[in-house]
Amino acid sequence: MAKLFAVIRREFRERVRQRWFWVMALLGPLLFAGLFFLPLLLAGSGGIKRIVVVDGTRTSFGVGVASALQRSGVFTAVRVPARAGLVDSLTRAVGAKELDGFLLLTDAAVDSGKAEYRSSNVSAFRTIAVLERTLGQLATAARLERAGVNPTVVATAQVHLDLETKKITGGKTTGESAAQSFSLAYFMSYLLLLAIIIYGVNVMGSIVEEKTNRVMEVLVSSVRPFQLMAGKVLGVGAVSIFQFLIWAVSARLLLRVRARFASTTALSDSASVFQIPHVSLGTAAIFTACFIGGFLLYSSMYAAVGAISSSDQEARQAQQPVTWLLVLSFFGMLGMLNDPGSKLAVILSLIPFTSPIAVPARWAAGTLSAGEVTLALVLQAVGIVAVTWVAARIYRVGILMTGKRPSLKEIVRWVRVG
Amino acid sequence: MNATILAADHIVKRFAGHTAVDGLTLTVPKGVIYGLLGPNGAGKTTTIRMIMNIYVPDSGSVRLFGEDGTGRDHSARIGYLPEERGLYPKMRVLDVLVFLAEMRGVSRRVARARAGEWLERLGLSDWRAQKVNALSKGMQQKVQFISTVLHDPDLLVMDEAFAGLDPVNSQVLKDTVLDLRGRGKTILLSTHIMEQAEKLCDSVCIIARGRKLVDGTLADVKRTHGGRHVIVNFDGARGDADRVFADRRLVSKADVSGQYAELELAASADAQEILQALVRSGARLARFELAEPSLNKIFIDLVGPEAATPTARSEAVDGG
Repeated sequence: MAKLFAVIRREFRERVRQRWFWVMALLGPLLFAGLFFLPLLLAGSGGIKRIVVVDGTRTSFGVGVASALQRSGVFTAVRVPARAGLVDSLTRAVGAKELDGFLLLTDAAVDSGKAEYRSSNVSAFRTIAVLERTLGQLATAARLERAGVNPTVVATAQVHLDLETKKITGGKTTGESAAQSFSLAYFMSYLLLLAIIIYGVNVMGSIVEEKTNRVMEVLVSSVRPFQLMAGKVLGVGAVSIFQFLIWAVSARLLLRVRARFASTTALSDSASVFQIPHVSLGTAAIFTACFIGGFLLYSSMYAAVGAISSSDQEARQAQQPVTWLLVLSFFGMLGMLNDPGSKLAVILSLIPFTSPIAVPARWAAGTLSAGEVTLALVLQAVGIVAVTWVAARIYRVGILMTGKRPSLKEIVRWVRVG
Repeated sequence: MNATILAADHIVKRFAGHTAVDGLTLTVPKGVIYGLLGPNGAGKTTTIRMIMNIYVPDSGSVRLFGEDGTGRDHSARIGYLPEERGLYPKMRVLDVLVFLAEMRGVSRRVARARAGEWLERLGLSDWRAQKVNALSKGMQQKVQFISTVLHDPDLLVMDEAFAGLDPVNSQVLKDTVLDLRGRGKTILLSTHIMEQAEKLCDSVCIIARGRKLVDGTLADVKRTHGGRHVIVNFDGARGDADRVFADRRLVSKADVSGQYAELELAASADAQEILQALVRSGARLARFELAEPSLNKIFIDLVGPEAATPTARSEAVDGG
């Protein structure tokens, strides 16, 4: 056991000492910072739009619109009565960036609900949404008043409705919204895919390295090959978990800073433009379990690939089937997200090779019962034991082989003879 | 001193298509330097790997220190220098040594202290914090050697011990090996360089094509397999010496190279007769010496030129 521990420690220490580990460790928080703060800053800076309300109405509708827009906090709206040549000069002003846009109002706005907004940027959905809402409310009010409804009644009848979606998990309503669940499922699967490939290939590289620099023979004369393989897998696994911890802690800290930033700058509304998905304890636990399971399963396959290869190039070729298996599970998951309760989805979340990716995705989408999760994890454990057993047998023979790569037939013989 | 440290009993190892080691039996007593000699491809490395439990023999057994257990079980008492040398190029020197010692069951603290002593002894203390790949090849060889003796093994196994060593390191290795034997350790080394084996080994085992040709103490091997030998050096004129060498009543075998000749006497011949015949033939002699045969000559006689070319060897390996 002391030897196993020494192998684990060597793998861990040598990796954490490398520059790329810290580059990755810093890159994560940087990416998070971008994700968390950029939307805030964009929403903030794009804040006040300078627009002109070209009032062609014969009622006070235009005045009301201009003041309502002014009050929305999104616009500085100046009302100008319509006249000939005005549209041309305003268009030039927009072109010269002296103005963000202008709203053309006629009586048609109230009569048939038609108005026109011209701007250099008509895809700014937040601007458009405020415009539409304001115009709609005022037009409704104007029509009601025209029909003889008391203006105070109209005012009280106005309801601003925000539809919020909440996910139900295990009979309880969580803080996760539908859109958030989808993005969370996608994000988690992607992260799992990347992490398993990166760290699995790491295990493989470490084995090829020992083969090419011939340390292997000395090691094998004092440690059992299985101990060596296990030590590598666990050592690299510890590095990956350490990396994740760094990311998780930095993400939490950044979120806290973000919350304070958002509240002091009174941008709580625009904060909803990009919401950080709420990650429950159960979700985190399943993510972790699936990462560990997937990593153990795939890294022992990568270890076997490393053992049968004599050089980096050879290993890069030989690892393709393993990587494809992972990528395939990822694409399977993508297809599954449309209908996370489908038969295909259920099958994918039970096969040990695809379940590390499929289970967290389905869980996040809310279509997985606790029983199914348990079954998937048990099957995964069985898969890990079986794959590790086969991989260890290939590993044991492969690590001392140099020269030509063994044929599939030879590998099968190694596994059978052991 | 007569305890047996290593006993291999009829060990056999077959690879796809050929038998690398074919029923080899050898016994290494305590406190000797034992040479496993043979041409390339004779099965030396395979034999050593079976001793180290890297390969499992197809049949036969290996017994170490007179106890049960495989080479791996006894790894704390064995130092192993494989034929293919190598260290972790990106690790620091001290870290590599400590790690490899840990693999042999030494605690980190002890390994650190001992590694420091050895680095000092071989003049590498300034390099302990450097990465291995910053060291010259000769220095890396020293580090590799330290790693095989750091755990103070009772048995040192060195495959192609002197291969690739520069003269300085070769001397360091020899001195250390002799020092270890002086402290009662046992050394098994394989080589195909007979001059080195002759200078170092107390006992030898010569193998070819996986089989043993002869074994025993160096003196015994020379006595039983050497025959009587005469070494002749000419001083310019050789006269009719070739006719004397060809006389099968006097000389059974002659190994002539220019001014030098190594002769094996015929069964009934007397060295004095050859001397007289050479003088009569008109040859001028610088040296005429009754000698033991060199290990090299015994080796070539036993192995024969055809066995020195190994058969095609497959790299495929059966279950480790």
